[in-house]
Amino acid sequence: MAEPITPLKTVGHPTPRIDAVDRVTGRATYSRDVTLPGMLYARVLRSPHPHARIRRIDTTKAAALSGVKAIVTHENCTVVWGAGGIAGGRQYVDEVKAITKQRRYAFNNPVRFVGDPVAAVAAVDRHVAEEALQRIVVDYEMLPFVLDHEEALTPDAPKIWPEGNLSLDVENQAKPLAQRRGNVDEALGRAAHVFEDRYSTQFVHNAQMEPRACVAAWEGDKLTVYTPTGGIANCRHDIARDLGLPDEKVRVVCRYMGGNFGNKNQNQDSDLIAASLAKLAGAPVKLEFSRKEDFIGMHGRWPTTQYYTVGVADDGTVDAIRLRAVSGMGPYRKNSGGMAGLDLYGCGNAEGIIQPAYTNKTVSGNFRGPEFPQGYFGIQSMMDDVAYRMKMDPVEFVLKNMARTAPGNAPFTNFTLEECIRRGAELFDWKRRWHPQPGSDPGPLKRGAGMAFMEFRSGIGQSSAVITLNGKGQYTLFVGVTDVGGGAKTTMGLIAAEELGVPLSKVEVVWGDTDRCPYSVGESGSRTTIMTGYAVIEAARDLKRQIAANGSPAGEQVVIASATPNPTMEGRKVRNAFGAHFVEVEVDVELGHVRVAKYLSVADCGRLINPLSAKGQMAGGAIQGIGMTLHEDLIYDQRTGQPLTAGFYYDRIPTHRDAPEIEVLFVESDDGYGAYGAKSLGESGKAPGPAAIANAIFNATGHRFKDLPITRAKILGALA
Amino acid sequence: MKSFTNANPRDVAHAVALSAQAHGANRSVSFAGGGSDLLALVKDRIVAPDVIVNLKTVKGLDQVAAAPGGLTVGALVTLDALDRHPVVRRDHAALAEAAGSVATPQIRNVGTIGGNICQRPWCWYYRNGFPCLKNGGNTCFSANGENQFHAIFGGGPSYIVHPSDTAPALVALDATFRVVGPAGERMVPAAEFFILPRDDAKRENVLAPDEILASVHVPAARRGTRSTYHKILDREAWTHAVVSAAIVLELEGGVCRLARIVLGGVAPVPWRVPEAERVLVGQRITPELAAQAGEAAVSGARPLAKNGYKVPLTRNLVRRTLVELAARA
Repeated sequence: MAEPITPLKTVGHPTPRIDAVDRVTGRATYSRDVTLPGMLYARVLRSPHPHARIRRIDTTKAAALSGVKAIVTHENCTVVWGAGGIAGGRQYVDEVKAITKQRRYAFNNPVRFVGDPVAAVAAVDRHVAEEALQRIVVDYEMLPFVLDHEEALTPDAPKIWPEGNLSLDVENQAKPLAQRRGNVDEALGRAAHVFEDRYSTQFVHNAQMEPRACVAAWEGDKLTVYTPTGGIANCRHDIARDLGLPDEKVRVVCRYMGGNFGNKNQNQDSDLIAASLAKLAGAPVKLEFSRKEDFIGMHGRWPTTQYYTVGVADDGTVDAIRLRAVSGMGPYRKNSGGMAGLDLYGCGNAEGIIQPAYTNKTVSGNFRGPEFPQGYFGIQSMMDDVAYRMKMDPVEFVLKNMARTAPGNAPFTNFTLEECIRRGAELFDWKRRWHPQPGSDPGPLKRGAGMAFMEFRSGIGQSSAVITLNGKGQYTLFVGVTDVGGGAKTTMGLIAAEELGVPLSKVEVVWGDTDRCPYSVGESGSRTTIMTGYAVIEAARDLKRQIAANGSPAGEQVVIASATPNPTMEGRKVRNAFGAHFVEVEVDVELGHVRVAKYLSVADCGRLINPLSAKGQMAGGAIQGIGMTLHEDLIYDQRTGQPLTAGFYYDRIPTHRDAPEIEVLFVESDDGYGAYGAKSLGESGKAPGPAAIANAIFNATGHRFKDLPITRAKILGALA
Repeated sequence: MKSFTNANPRDVAHAVALSAQAHGANRSVSFAGGGSDLLALVKDRIVAPDVIVNLKTVKGLDQVAAAPGGLTVGALVTLDALDRHPVVRRDHAALAEAAGSVATPQIRNVGTIGGNICQRPWCWYYRNGFPCLKNGGNTCFSANGENQFHAIFGGGPSYIVHPSDTAPALVALDATFRVVGPAGERMVPAAEFFILPRDDAKRENVLAPDEILASVHVPAARRGTRSTYHKILDREAWTHAVVSAAIVLELEGGVCRLARIVLGGVAPVPWRVPEAERVLVGQRITPELAAQAGEAAVSGARPLAKNGYKVPLTRNLVRRTLVELAARA
């Protein structure tokens, strides 16, 4: 067991967020609250068809409406939205954009999903803009469409792109994602037991509270964009590249944002549309999305179908895992379509082949651990099932088979997974809550317990920070964060205060403005605390060195320190966060109702900078996992290709009353990397949730539900 | 949303007159109580009224008052007020429980009993603007589409379910609705207020275009009467009933003298199940008898392709609600 971690001076103490009062009193200004003199209001007209060619757009009646100032369509706006669709999450490369065959424009023709933007109008007020949309006449030629991602890969499926429905990668290659180690065929051939099964997961929208809104304003050739983004630097770079501007001609401002969960990482088409309208109209433009538009026009977690074959020895040792899978990407490949899970197991023979397929559904993209919860649900349901078939306690099965090193036997910087699982099992009272015989409660209320675990990337990398000290003794920290929900402004302030040896109140934090703040990695990939936090430490050290050498500033003097560290790992080491979720459910088999009775989330996220935010992140992740497991689904009408459940009501995202008491146990560690040993946190709290809940439902009912969400209809269909 | 004119009536007669006047000028009209549902429909252009008659300015309809033979509940009484009203809670628990089960506290604070009874369906085809029967078209898309939440009783040609929680409770409590129109007022029993799509697929109740539901009369509870409303939600708050059951029992010395069982979430109208009621009358309500009543309740069910689960759900809900209600002190 590692050295116990104790709080430092400022770091490690539960601390309310520095902007909490502004947020809860309504003083915080979100992008939607920005109002500029002479500003116009914009609305987007979206395709009502899943796949259609636009023969003609007639905007004359809209343009004739009094108050309409600018209209853009694919005819007069040919901006390519680079981050919107180029090949699988590696879209920051100009070379890729230059060669890609499958460009996603701000306005596409043909339109490829219900919600694909067709036109946008800027007008003197919202009402006129909406009225103008009603007057745009679009002549569509309907094209055949395909909704299901497996069907999309069959030979007779309608082609969404000329190259076919298997998504192209950055090199325009139609190749599946492939991962291999050892020899799976041989290992399956000699295995004492071979198990096969199919699991599937649904499209889940990020459902962040703040729908998209963007204000764009030009002053000469300089563009300012007020937009909700988790990465102002990336957003600026994307906007600049897409509009053909140098980075320094674009300023991105995000003072406050209302949640991200991966939905606001890069620039979005709203930024490009608002900028195009503002240019055309010669006035600032505010573009707002409705909740429904935000659901269908942006992106969510990709749906998957996963086929597993697992070879096991008599003693329960997993010796081979084969995964064949298809991910549904919508018609543009905004992210990889990958699935995490194979690396969780130590077995030497594993092979995953994942085909990311185009469909005429809403686009899939980043969502809190993009490839994790759905991949973990599949493989950890499969392995849980194997454990029962091998007559083993699932916890013992995991302890026996979990990976203790990274692929290729690369060592972890530290390995606390076993400790997380053992301490979690004890605190949860696993032996008492888990039923050796699944479904053995007499009912109608049946209880059962399940668990799942995680290993989540926590790599180090480059970021920047600037700290100044003025003659009055005031420290100012400049960091390019916006706070996507994890509390980054406060976290950065705490780190600076710690390193400077002053209380948090002595550090003013400046954030969210590319003209004022240095580069920061985007608040995606759970890396801000690790990377930008480390840059803050380095900048503070630089400041202290300057003061030691030259003395403190006096009068109007200001000392400026900055740092852009790019730390590297020692040797081949791999850095991961670890954790396990233990869940007890109560299933009413007569009413098909699942109640999460107890939820324990155990995690080693390194050292906690702010335990208050950390606990909130883990609880929020667990609640999102409950929603994904039991409720959320973007259901489509099969005949028309229309989504039916967009929005908070029909999508059934969890409410406060759906959230059980969630207990969080942190197994803190300091492996010497990141900011004081901090590891990734924000995404990982969701990753094992769906698998743990589904495994608990199996333990309670004796029925393995293999398709998410596990709805009342499915439960009653199986059990009533 | 489309532009509309807001009209503030002084009283019910004035509200009716404003509506008739607008219709006379060939303008479409919607009545707004709390407006919590109407505003969303208008924003989504599902409903596009030229005139909104704002009933909030009507005086005197926001009271629960003792009336001969029972209680009168003004149509503008909020769901929250109903949920908290001591007499309603004591004598007509099904109504208080139904009102308290609606949506969220925010919506219950503004939503009215009149609006809850008269709200439009929450079928996702209707609310997403499909050209369905409810939107003036000639098809019900749910019949052969995504019908997970649709009707298992009384469907055709439309398969919506009536969305109101208070409506099944009011039918079970044998309430009467006071309806005011240009020709004066009429009293309509709650059980006759709602109409099936086979009679008129465009609307859910008997209200003519200029008519308003002004108040609800709930008869005094007879001795030995108890009632309850149980609602199955797809999450713990803010969904309409997947299935619900409003049950009124009159017990005398442990023997059931009268039973009214009205289901929500399963039919285009609050769905009374006399087959189940007959099982109970004259009997002591044992778990076995309750199970028989549950079976009887679903004997006429005609599920669609994706809502078969509602049959066991309804059966089990009726049985369990009966057992629980019969055991209440």
